[in-house]
Amino acid sequence: MKRSLPPHARRLLSCAIASGLLLAGMARAEQSAGNDINPADVPEVDQAIKAKPDSQWTGWWNRSTLLGDMGGLRSALGRQGITVGLTESSEYLRNVSGGLQYGGQYQGLATLTLGLDTQRAGWWDGGSFNVSVLDIHGKPFSGQYVGSIQTASGIEADRASRLWEAWFQQQLNGERLDLKLGQQSLDQEFMVSQYGSLFMGTMFGWAAVPSADMPAGGPAYPLSGLGARLRGKIGDNITVLGGAFAGDPTRDVSQNPSDPQQLNKYGTTFSRHGGTLFIGELQYGRNLPSNGALETPRPLNGVGGLPGTYKVGFWYLNQKTPDTRWDVNGQPLALNLAGPQMHEGNYSIYAVADQTVWRPAEDSSKTLNVFARAMAAPGDRNLVSFSANAGITLTAPFAGRDNDIAGLAVGYVKVGNHQAGNDLDNGIANGNPLYPARGDETQIEATYQYQLTPWWQWQADLQYVRNVGAGASATPSDYTSTQKIPNSWVVGLKTTITF
Amino acid sequence: MKATFSPRALAAAVTTLLALSGAAHAGDTFLAGIKKHMVLTNTVPDNGDQNPYAIAVSPITAGKLKAGDVLVDNFNNAANLQGLGSTIVNYRPDSKEMTLFAQIPRTLEQCPGGVGLSTAMTVLKSGWVIVGSTPSNDGMTDTKGAGCLMVLDTNGKLVDVWSGPDINDPWGNMAVIDNGDKVTLFVSNAGFGVGSAKGTPPVVNLATVLRLDIEVPAGQPPKVLKRTVVASGFGEQADKSVFLIGPTGLVYGKDDKLYVSDALGNRISEIWDAASRDTSAGIGRTLTHDGLLLRPLALTSTPQGHLLATNGSNGKVVEIDPATGEQLAARWIDANKAQTPPGSGDLFGIAITPQGDGFYYVTDDNNNLVLAK
Repeated sequence: MKRSLPPHARRLLSCAIASGLLLAGMARAEQSAGNDINPADVPEVDQAIKAKPDSQWTGWWNRSTLLGDMGGLRSALGRQGITVGLTESSEYLRNVSGGLQYGGQYQGLATLTLGLDTQRAGWWDGGSFNVSVLDIHGKPFSGQYVGSIQTASGIEADRASRLWEAWFQQQLNGERLDLKLGQQSLDQEFMVSQYGSLFMGTMFGWAAVPSADMPAGGPAYPLSGLGARLRGKIGDNITVLGGAFAGDPTRDVSQNPSDPQQLNKYGTTFSRHGGTLFIGELQYGRNLPSNGALETPRPLNGVGGLPGTYKVGFWYLNQKTPDTRWDVNGQPLALNLAGPQMHEGNYSIYAVADQTVWRPAEDSSKTLNVFARAMAAPGDRNLVSFSANAGITLTAPFAGRDNDIAGLAVGYVKVGNHQAGNDLDNGIANGNPLYPARGDETQIEATYQYQLTPWWQWQADLQYVRNVGAGASATPSDYTSTQKIPNSWVVGLKTTITF
Repeated sequence: MKATFSPRALAAAVTTLLALSGAAHAGDTFLAGIKKHMVLTNTVPDNGDQNPYAIAVSPITAGKLKAGDVLVDNFNNAANLQGLGSTIVNYRPDSKEMTLFAQIPRTLEQCPGGVGLSTAMTVLKSGWVIVGSTPSNDGMTDTKGAGCLMVLDTNGKLVDVWSGPDINDPWGNMAVIDNGDKVTLFVSNAGFGVGSAKGTPPVVNLATVLRLDIEVPAGQPPKVLKRTVVASGFGEQADKSVFLIGPTGLVYGKDDKLYVSDALGNRISEIWDAASRDTSAGIGRTLTHDGLLLRPLALTSTPQGHLLATNGSNGKVVEIDPATGEQLAARWIDANKAQTPPGSGDLFGIAITPQGDGFYYVTDDNNNLVLAK
């Protein structure tokens, strides 16, 4: 009888009993403490529930990964210190207004990650190996349909299956100091905005300045670079990290500057060329506790401060870098065939802030957070001399939706003054004084991330780009080469599954 | 000569004095004596069970147990589903080895809903291990059973199962008065009337603390002589993230008082005449609430008689003087920033070392047993 009831009848029975219990509880609350009803006297449906044998697919809807223990494989590997991770992100973006042309594109990214903990493997303490592989499918969207500098998607890249990261990390002084060696993607650790990572636009991840100004976009997704990174904790709230990496992850970006990913098609070039890229970052955590910190009492109902993280950093590339306007003779590059002036290296400074500004209770899932990130590079040798992102996110925006996030953000890029001058020079050189010179571009993004199950996310997205391409010419759709690309509206839908 | 003070200087002086007095106060606490935190072992056994919950230190050497061994049970299975963990592991401090102590059949017939080991676990002086089950068929409360209490011998073999209408999801760590052949055991039940975690589940004020008066005949498994609900009406609630929330920590203290951590009430309650009363004391008297507490879960007692409570909603352990209810200090023992607040949902069981010089705790985010001393 216990198991023969149809599901809806069981639900009704459960509801009826639960309601009875609730009513009993309410009635009890109205009685004096001495007349409590002993729950043992109330019929209890849970007594009738029998255990079911579990299998590979038990709790499919509720577990943290789609494949769970993979029939025992994941835990068997775990005993050897091996962790396996696989995610698939799929998205469809469509330009519905403005831009280069209307239309949409699908792009997907599968990321396979393998980790090895040396302690669990029975070797030595504090070591870990990490290898990750990317499979990028579909086609990039922004270049064909929008023409923006701040591309619409963080996974846009050439279709490929490629090695991404391959590194070894060793803790050197407990958790205070660690060294990471090997092929690394810098967007995983440097310039990261915790709250900005919600957004689909590329530049909320690896920002516009390094994307546009480092050779081939720098050692960041989908590329990575050989190097070493050292990280140290100074006190409870301050962390310093710095590293040195190969400057050009493609070996020689000049061989294919328009599509450098093709120069390192499988991620196995292991370039040590292009000079050395030095990068450093200082991180300060505000109201972020650390293990072992002792607290003295505070007033009853007292609430702790809201957490925030603040970062400042720099990068410096010691490779000679060409001027974007002037040749060696001080003449416009657009008018001469002489080679460009060369600058001693290239560099940028940046700052990132993530701060929770509202939380109704200390243990509430609902938080209102703001973030801002700005970075600058010299305008004489870079396509982008300044970029900034800022935004606001709201976690748990609706009751019962603790893992959803809503967000609104803006991204801004300013084209370097020499590059803008070069545009003017090109117009003059081509006899077209009305040829647009690039200035700046602004992107606004609104998004909502819906956690369907612990392993499955859906994300709806709306983007507006003002002054697309920083005011780039609409050529070839404009034969006069005097018009700018119209402002663009993009809608998108993304889904991410964690296997 | 008349001294003059600016208001700002006066405020600074007062602030400094308050800070110093606070620091001096914190210096008297058990937590102030803790100097380091050492990860002892990863608690995942061969079957991949996760989420270590209960900690119990063996007082006896017998069978697979050695005095001082640290038993840890697991609430989740290998797929990280709550209420399906069925293993107890044993960490031996002197050899630093972790072994499997027991693996209980998950579909135990006598246990309504089966086996999902909870924070309720103890090792008696006679060597019998008693452990609670708060089971589920899919990791959520929609399919949870009433569970049971199970008795294991010193080799980890199941010898008896206790269930019944007064047992529904024995959830919290046990308080025990162990006189060898006579044992009084307190366990909280947090499953009565708890429904689905979908939407915004209601708080149901039906959780109880059950007292079991037990006889342990020589060479025989323990027998329950009497079952008495000594406290009732605590809040309990289904939860998507942590399965359910309810009264969790129990410590038997001086003057026949039982201390109960009321997670939803964010307070510590005291039940008087706990070992002798024949009726429920309701939700008892509030010893302390809020302040440094943030969903207090497991409780233990320090050598000087202070209470230590692990917070469920952040990674702190809080020290309380049960004589006054004063919250003395808190220490971050899991500051994992991946959660909001840091360490939220990571802490459960806690147990004082036999030497009284520190405490064991588990961190659920990485399945580790940690020693703080």
